[in-house]
Amino acid sequence: MSNEFLSIEDLHIHYITQEGTVKAVNGIDLKLNKGETLGLVGETGAGKTTTALGILRLIPNPPGKIMDGKIILEGRNLLELSEEEMRKIRGKKVSMIFQDPMTSLNPVMTVGEQIAEVIEIHEDVNKEEAKEKAKEMLELVGISGGRAGDYPHQFSGGMKQRVVIAIALACSPELLIADEPTTALDVTIQAQVLDLMQGLKKEFNTAMILITHDLGVVAEACDKVAIIYAGEIVEYADIESLFASPKHPYTQGLFASIPSLDEDVERLNPIKGLMPEPTDLPSGCRFHPRCPYAEAKCSEMDPKSVEVGAEHRVKCLIYSGEVSGKGIENE
Amino acid sequence: MSNNILEVKNLKKHFDTPKGTLHAVDGVDFTIEAGKTLGVVGESGCGKSTLGRVILHLLDSTSGEIIYDGENITKVDKKQFIDLRKEMQIIFQDPFSSLDPRMTVSEIIKEPLVIHGVTKDKNELDKRVSELMSTVGLVDRLVNAYPHELDGGRRQRIGIARALALNPKFIVADEPVSALDVSIQAQVLNLMQDLQQEFGLTYMFITHDLSVVKHISDEILVMYLGKMVEKAPAKELFANPLHPYTKALLSAIPTPSLTKKRERILLKGEIVSPIEPKPGCRFAPRCPYAEELCRTTEPEIEEVSLGHEIVCHFVKEINKL
Amino acid sequence: MVEKIKKKSQWREMWDRLKVNKMAMLGLGILVILILLAVFAEQIASYEDVAIKMDTSIRLQGPSKEHILGTDEFGRDMFARIVHGARVSLKVGIIAVGIAIIIGGTLGAVAGFYGGTLDNVIMRTMDVFLAIPSILLAIAIVSSLGSSMLNLMLAVGISSIPNYARIVRASVISVKDEEFVEAARAIGARDNRIILKHIIPNSIAPVIVQATLGVAGAILSTAGLSFIGLGIAQPQPEWGAMLSGGRAFLVQAPHVVAFPGIAIMITILSLNLLGDGLRDALDPRLRQ
Repeated sequence: MSNEFLSIEDLHIHYITQEGTVKAVNGIDLKLNKGETLGLVGETGAGKTTTALGILRLIPNPPGKIMDGKIILEGRNLLELSEEEMRKIRGKKVSMIFQDPMTSLNPVMTVGEQIAEVIEIHEDVNKEEAKEKAKEMLELVGISGGRAGDYPHQFSGGMKQRVVIAIALACSPELLIADEPTTALDVTIQAQVLDLMQGLKKEFNTAMILITHDLGVVAEACDKVAIIYAGEIVEYADIESLFASPKHPYTQGLFASIPSLDEDVERLNPIKGLMPEPTDLPSGCRFHPRCPYAEAKCSEMDPKSVEVGAEHRVKCLIYSGEVSGKGIENE
Repeated sequence: MSNNILEVKNLKKHFDTPKGTLHAVDGVDFTIEAGKTLGVVGESGCGKSTLGRVILHLLDSTSGEIIYDGENITKVDKKQFIDLRKEMQIIFQDPFSSLDPRMTVSEIIKEPLVIHGVTKDKNELDKRVSELMSTVGLVDRLVNAYPHELDGGRRQRIGIARALALNPKFIVADEPVSALDVSIQAQVLNLMQDLQQEFGLTYMFITHDLSVVKHISDEILVMYLGKMVEKAPAKELFANPLHPYTKALLSAIPTPSLTKKRERILLKGEIVSPIEPKPGCRFAPRCPYAEELCRTTEPEIEEVSLGHEIVCHFVKEINKL
Repeated sequence: MVEKIKKKSQWREMWDRLKVNKMAMLGLGILVILILLAVFAEQIASYEDVAIKMDTSIRLQGPSKEHILGTDEFGRDMFARIVHGARVSLKVGIIAVGIAIIIGGTLGAVAGFYGGTLDNVIMRTMDVFLAIPSILLAIAIVSSLGSSMLNLMLAVGISSIPNYARIVRASVISVKDEEFVEAARAIGARDNRIILKHIIPNSIAPVIVQATLGVAGAILSTAGLSFIGLGIAQPQPEWGAMLSGGRAFLVQAPHVVAFPGIAIMITILSLNLLGDGLRDALDPRLRQ
């Protein structure tokens, strides 16, 4: 018996709009073990948030639709569950932290009530017990239990995000999906929140999917990384091998785009061009119009995911030997 | 003879709020040399954006002096004000909200030329617009597009073209790349560097992103709650941060590397807002080294080495200088 | 040369979104027919010879070949009167709303843009107006000025000024804090340019929606005033007055009341359908 906890197989999610079909997620495969953190890295519109919402089956429908694939959580395919069964999973087994702490709290409920609400829904407790538990949760995220009666606007951004984390962890979920949890926060506050999340994750042995665009945050917090581009996972690896030797030209481009704090680079070396329109994705490899190593074949053949090391998979024709990839740096 | 294009002396900007006076900018001094970039870093509420807007007269200063190109521009009349607009420009943070959604690319870029009556000739205007578009790397095809039809990177290029239209010498860039994805961010940063070289521009680059500020700046000013805490040449600041806040700030940046881990200094507490600030050092409530003196007396600016200024009572003790 | 991206104005875009909304298109369709009827009323049925021509020998006849909607208590052709009534109703509705938009819009824009004391003075005055039921206000205005078409328009228009002032003010306040207004300031634009070029075009959407719904309201108010005898004078056909005149014959000739009533209903319905459709089409949340 492996300790494989979540596995996503060939997930496709489309948004069907008047202007055309937005292919947001196109055949994603992911695996996550208990207690592990997976970083899902990509730029705006790459399909990160859609994937996360897909796991919770919270894709707004219409226009969104899960076209195909499996999401297997502890042996059960979430896509085959009834809405009622799914409701029991949300917030209890799987919970989510949204990017913006300012808008993800209800302004007319006290933070204590909001934490107690999720506990009451999922656990067999009375109001008083839920309130007690809510206070404990607040203490756990470093806020005095005495503030349970305060409203969200009485908290600063960092504190609100702590409250959101407390809500997410209130029912000790086994999987936590955090969508850019620190992007809206200042660096010193981000450091505090990341630190808190790391600590709590260890304490509860929670598996986590951390969605971010910041490779720095990934380096801080993750065990595995999946780089997502135009709805596909172009590279998947454990964190050591990804940072030691990124293989996919897109991953390499991402690293080259970040101004380094340790080295002096006169000019950055950005990826040329723009993200493709999700209604009009390029043929073959989705990245080929922006890839510095692209050859004619790249626009024709859909690359398969190939193993380039232990648990290190890349979706690029260079590594399946179809294309020379002359000039690509690899050690 | 100094070659300073901008000199700011004890500049203050206070706002009246229902809770009391907000000291958004509270006595900042600096100079920027022509053709160079001053990076201004700090977290939200430190007054960095207000500072930029006060210098550009988008907000009136409460007190202090602004000297531009040898001329005191703290108080200006209407005529001088219009002339200043040609010299000093701003690039905004949000390429979504800083462009009028009802105007096309060409109308947006044209607007400053029309306002300042640069030319009345329609062909000339169109020619200038297409020059500016090619300068910032926008293809001619987009001339009649609306901002919402374009992505963030291109929109930011429109904002840059608009700022360049009047051939300014000095540009305040207020978080110009924060709203962009990393790959696009790098493209825009490169563009800004190219433009600086080509037109000899002077930048005041406001950001919260330390890796960006290091990349683009010659000198960096670190602000905390309306006050300068440290100022140094970019390399020096990163190699040798002296103020406890700067140290914590630098250590808090997540580095995209597993080998070069920084020793993290976790600050306690939150940033408060500078409404009716208490006397003493603004950073004292969060500072791990704070002592009684810090809570009662405001520290003075001290130059510890050439061009490296710091505002802290215990800089020598903390850094064993 | 590569083809340039075509200029696609906000109107074009609004139309693209509006035309897929079936109910709104139905409303627009009916409205277009009504407007055509009103414009060509004279060609359809002569005012002098048909609409106000009395012939008591054929009074209160039901629909027939000669008079497809029957005749009223003076033997006038109902169809001709309804068609000419459309002319009056639409004209009064549109002009009344026009008056309200121009005065209310200007007041609201000034209040919103400059704020402070000016805002307070203008908006508190508007609040006083709002405290009086608009139909009462209109009655008061018509009865003091005397009943004529112009006074009717003024009465209905003035009583809806506060609505437009509020909408425009709210819209201007939200737009004036946008960064692009600051950007315009940064390139040296003066207040009048900022208001005319940046603020008004961006705050017009809710006004359009309100105006569409407002025309419906104005037509209804006009009909109401005419019904109680404060509107258009006889013999000029007006739907409200027709309703009023016909109510004595409700039992013996219900069509005299029913047709003007249906005309009012259809007009209001079409305007409301269109207004709702416009609201959806202009909703910024749907944009992208």
